[in-house]
Amino acid sequence: MLEVETAVSFRPGELEVDSSGAGHLLGSRCASCGAHFFPVRQACAGCLGTDLEAVRLSTTGTLYTFSIVRQSTPEFEVPYALGYVDFSEGVRIMGQISGCDLEDIWIGMQLSLSVEPFGEDEDGNQLSGYRFRPTEAGSGGGS
Amino acid sequence: MTDVHILGVGMTRFGRHPDSDASDLGAEALLEAIADAEIDARAVEAAYCGHVFQGMVTGQRILAQVGLAGLPLTNVENACSSGATAIREASLAIRAGEHDVVVAIGTEHLTSRFRGALTPDPSDPEAAVGATMPGVYAMRARRYMEEFGMTREQLALIPVKNKGNAARNPLAHFRTPITVEEVLESRPIADPLNLHDCSPVTDGAAAVVVMSDRAAGRFANGRTVRLAASALRSGSVDVEPTSMTFEPLTWATARDAYEKAGIGPDDIDLAEVHDCFSIAEVLRVEGLGLFEQGSYPTAVERGEADIGGRLPINPSGGLIGKGHPLGGTGVAQVVEVVRQLRGEVGDRQVEGAKVGVAHCRGGKAVGIEGAACTVQVLVR
Repeated sequence: MLEVETAVSFRPGELEVDSSGAGHLLGSRCASCGAHFFPVRQACAGCLGTDLEAVRLSTTGTLYTFSIVRQSTPEFEVPYALGYVDFSEGVRIMGQISGCDLEDIWIGMQLSLSVEPFGEDEDGNQLSGYRFRPTEAGSGGGS
Repeated sequence: MTDVHILGVGMTRFGRHPDSDASDLGAEALLEAIADAEIDARAVEAAYCGHVFQGMVTGQRILAQVGLAGLPLTNVENACSSGATAIREASLAIRAGEHDVVVAIGTEHLTSRFRGALTPDPSDPEAAVGATMPGVYAMRARRYMEEFGMTREQLALIPVKNKGNAARNPLAHFRTPITVEEVLESRPIADPLNLHDCSPVTDGAAAVVVMSDRAAGRFANGRTVRLAASALRSGSVDVEPTSMTFEPLTWATARDAYEKAGIGPDDIDLAEVHDCFSIAEVLRVEGLGLFEQGSYPTAVERGEADIGGRLPINPSGGLIGKGHPLGGTGVAQVVEVVRQLRGEVGDRQVEGAKVGVAHCRGGKAVGIEGAACTVQVLVR
């Protein structure tokens, strides 16, 4: 398999994938007040400043809440865990949770960004998307 | 500035309508509203039509069916608040002095456009990772249970109440009462929500005729209800993550409406709120200031939200019982409140009701708490 070489982000504006297969979610930081946003914004909702810089967001966060989704659209195989994860920059991001049993998910658990195969493009090429996985004890950054 | 008055209301049966489309349903509701107002259709000066998935110029197709083509007509899309927003636009046209008699229609033929779980727009980053509306509300339910100790059984009492009310509503999608056990045993959709916690995929339409002081005097039919406020807000972007167990958007919209109407939560005799899911009713009534945060599940247990209780919530059956044809929903809520205030709803009547509220909100986009929210205050 040539997964690494063909890794293409499913949404390049939101997920940056590097050649090693790791990645970052992309957001905005307001140069005036320091507020962060996901996804990228054109003006700050806090101070209305328009000097926003694109930033890579941190890769570990805390699960705020979750659900096991058992009915979805045809693109998604059910069941899957869906959660909101809070990051230290002050952004809350939705994503699926992988890498553990559906019964082993709890509010407050630490999760890390994980770049994983996530559907295909129109030509059938594999795309890379993101999920959140339980952070392994002692792994620190999670990337 | 003139007040705004509702003189006529109409609504189709909610449910599956395989032999009609959104314009058939809208036309039926509109003709009923005009007849209910006891006016000549030629008195209507302008029209607003709320819908979500019915395609271009749905409102024009409705007017063409009823002989009113030619009027200024605006189609309105604001997710589940589309119909409610159409009423607000109609009320603004009256308050501005531009028109004296305006109709607002909400319609949706959802069974031909959608199946299963509703999702945000496919372009949205959350839709791209698997967000469904039941999933989003399920996450809010889980968080609410964690923070306030609400039990799954308490949550189930909301669909039990609403489908019980719907059984008394001849126009409702569901006419059969259910039990807590049936809610708990229904098909899981997004934990902790099951099928009975969710509003159904429904076809239906509703319409209202609104008038200025001058027209309401001229066409007085003895059944006038005043639209004392029609407030609208869009959801704001979180600068910091906020609680998902309280709705700043609902509260901000409610505050606008209460201030305009000169009332407070204590003055309200009944409310139709946007119970797209069981947990949504909890968040809505607490966001409206009708029940203290964290208290609604026990209030429901005590029967406070029943017809005949301290503050009846969703006597029509709500979205869960009456059905949820997206564009039709917000108008149908107002139709129910008007009929309640007129004393026309038989065995689901809230006795002596003088002030009613209709709360509608809908839509989801990444980073905002909710997309569109309306709160309308009706006074008899």
